[in-house]
Amino acid sequence: MKNRLLAALMSIAVAISLTAKADGVGPGVPRDGAIGYVMTDLFWAVYQTPDAKTECPRGFNDGPREQFEILFPPGEKWSVVDTQLKQEIETWHPTDAPDSFPFYEVEGPLSYGLNLDGEIGPNDFTHPDGERGIDNEVYRAVGCVIGFRGPDGVEFIFQNKAIADRRYNRTMIELTGVDNLENDDNVTVSVYRGLDRLLTDATGMKVMSGGSQRVDMRWGASLIRQTQGKIVNSVLTTEPIGEVIIPWMNLGVPTFQLIRDMQLQLTLSPTGATGLVAGYADVDTWYKQLIRNDSTHHLSNGQISGISLYKALRRLADAYPDPETGANTAISTALDVKMTQVYIVHPDEQTRVSQNATR
Amino acid sequence: MRLGIHFLAVTLFITAAARAAESVDPGSLRLVEDYVSVPMPPGFHVEPTELEGPVFADSAGRTLYTWPSHKLRNGYSGETQGNPACYDEVRTETAGLMSPYPPGILLPELDKRPSCTDLWPPVLAADDAEKIGKWTIVDRKDGTRQWAYDEQPLYTSAKDKETGDTYGGTTRRYGGDSPANRVPIGPPARVPPGFAIKTTTMGRLLTTDKNFSVYVYDKDTSDTSMCDTECARTWLPVIAPAVARAVGEWSIIERSPGVRQWAFRQKPLYTHVLDARSWSLEGSDVEGWSNVYTQMAPPIPELFTVQQTLVGEVLADSDGMTVYTYVCGDDSVDQLSCDHPDDTQVYRNAMCGGGEAEKCLKMWPYVQAEKGMIGNSRAWNVIDIDPKTGHKASPEQSDALSVWAYRDRPVVIYGGDRKPGDVNGAGTGEWRGQRNGLEAFWLRDDYLGGTL
Repeated sequence: MKNRLLAALMSIAVAISLTAKADGVGPGVPRDGAIGYVMTDLFWAVYQTPDAKTECPRGFNDGPREQFEILFPPGEKWSVVDTQLKQEIETWHPTDAPDSFPFYEVEGPLSYGLNLDGEIGPNDFTHPDGERGIDNEVYRAVGCVIGFRGPDGVEFIFQNKAIADRRYNRTMIELTGVDNLENDDNVTVSVYRGLDRLLTDATGMKVMSGGSQRVDMRWGASLIRQTQGKIVNSVLTTEPIGEVIIPWMNLGVPTFQLIRDMQLQLTLSPTGATGLVAGYADVDTWYKQLIRNDSTHHLSNGQISGISLYKALRRLADAYPDPETGANTAISTALDVKMTQVYIVHPDEQTRVSQNATR
Repeated sequence: MRLGIHFLAVTLFITAAARAAESVDPGSLRLVEDYVSVPMPPGFHVEPTELEGPVFADSAGRTLYTWPSHKLRNGYSGETQGNPACYDEVRTETAGLMSPYPPGILLPELDKRPSCTDLWPPVLAADDAEKIGKWTIVDRKDGTRQWAYDEQPLYTSAKDKETGDTYGGTTRRYGGDSPANRVPIGPPARVPPGFAIKTTTMGRLLTTDKNFSVYVYDKDTSDTSMCDTECARTWLPVIAPAVARAVGEWSIIERSPGVRQWAFRQKPLYTHVLDARSWSLEGSDVEGWSNVYTQMAPPIPELFTVQQTLVGEVLADSDGMTVYTYVCGDDSVDQLSCDHPDDTQVYRNAMCGGGEAEKCLKMWPYVQAEKGMIGNSRAWNVIDIDPKTGHKASPEQSDALSVWAYRDRPVVIYGGDRKPGDVNGAGTGEWRGQRNGLEAFWLRDDYLGGTL
């Protein structure tokens, strides 16, 4: 109880410190015009209706276990080479050849995401809020795969657990030049990786604002990016960043997602930020992240056939054509993201802290 | 950066070596790990090894192994105490221990498939042999008697050819989805209560029994700590209890009246308060501070380099491309390995080349050595490989490839890595690379939780 009370007081104190008049400027102004946020939740954005009839009228896709039973029915004598290794070869050496199984893409008109190309095309979705031209072909591929659906899909559960548990995944952003957290026509947004564990409440489950994160300038230096953005009615929208690497470790394998033209759309508050990360995911990187982080066993638990999904991703890829083949190499996507306010400690400050600690 | 991390460790090793003559292997001047002498039956002895520290060996010098019970996804494999499970039977079907694949599938290359005891000959006890200490004798179902240590039946490995070889297995930590591996067994390490030793790619790392790394400070002497009260807020002295006594390479200094601190090889020991995880190497980034190894792994051949990645430091070839090792165990009850050139190559070919040897050579090329080159240790040797089969080449084979091998298994790079520091192949293969897959050769990981 004491810890909970302390945590609540800390949260209030952070909120007050962020919104109070500081350095002679008005309310809603972060101290020194800067505020940091650390990522705590990250999911592929999947628009779901309660019975899934709208988006998946033909049902959900089969996974490796179901496909194996169809291909190699029990009762016959099979060999490892002709069964297990054949399936693993197709998983690890995927092709865009036609699928031998039906694959159910999302058929509904609605999706979360952003209008990445500024156009309204025939394949675009409409946002539940009515905005047209939403580009999110990853959703079209994974929306009828139960492992990607909340609240209990295997990807939904494990990835988010890893975000909290693994420092490798410690993506954070820092807004600088902020005159007002509610409206500001030009702020600088920097992307870093943090080095530290998340500050949580006494249960260890709820991430608290007010923690600190040192910037990883050693292993994570190549992850640093910067862009400009604007804040309108507390919603931050950024300019696209050419190429962003999101560290993505799940079940002990360090992988990443490569997102091109990445934009952020986040609703900001003094204690957190919630919204979307959107852009074009490199297809091969997307797929390798999935199968390196999840074995066929884990994919089976989410009825995720890597073999079928790769073909769908290739089929639905909608950007960055290969100059030689003309085939698209990237696919539009959006991720739901939640972030919590954090004090970002830069290298010079780390040095000062270290000197103070060891003097 | 060419092997910077290694040279740092070697420097420490040499410094420590100069002060611990009793633990130096006179044949190689390498510092070796001390151990507690335990009673042994006649014919057995303790043998120092490069990677695993002291191990038990039979009269022919062959390393002894146990096969501990290991929980897999759909059941257990390995042996429970007192119950040998490895026999001269050729298994023909999978056991279905790893989902999603069912049991009862025919294993590959049945015409060449060895039995468990072909690869793991049991260490048999003579009729008049008697138990002594932790060495006991267990009955096998074929009527023979087998030596056991701590009730775990003992075996030698067909992969070991010379005294001190440990090609059959390792005590390095492995994941829960790895095969039920055989592990070399040896006498207890000579460490006081509260300490432990972990086998890593760099050497045998000294830690607390809670797996936190311990460190030494350059400025300390054998009887004086130069880490003052302020320093000791960051570097916590490892306190020796009042009843503790110096033994072997272990001594005790008195930091202040009544406060006693453990020292190893005449250097006081500390833990690092900022270490957030087990087996960390992060404290040695601070100038003057170093991790402690009871013995270093053999030097990595000079052509290799060390590269920085998003995770930490990885071994790389001379062009900076990440080096990988192949890991494989089959899904039979016997959990036979398939990651050595003497084993079936069916699994490896499937993973590295979709079943095609040519594609393997392109996607996962061997780290080649110059013809006639030899390795500098048992850990790092050069072997000739038949590129068409993946097996070891015959001596007269003209198209054989001379390749670098770690623990007698070829190391490779990945065609999907584009530049130094890429580790895009890590976790490739079944069970995230833990069985029938490829793992990066990590020298330091700051994020993986100590899987070195």
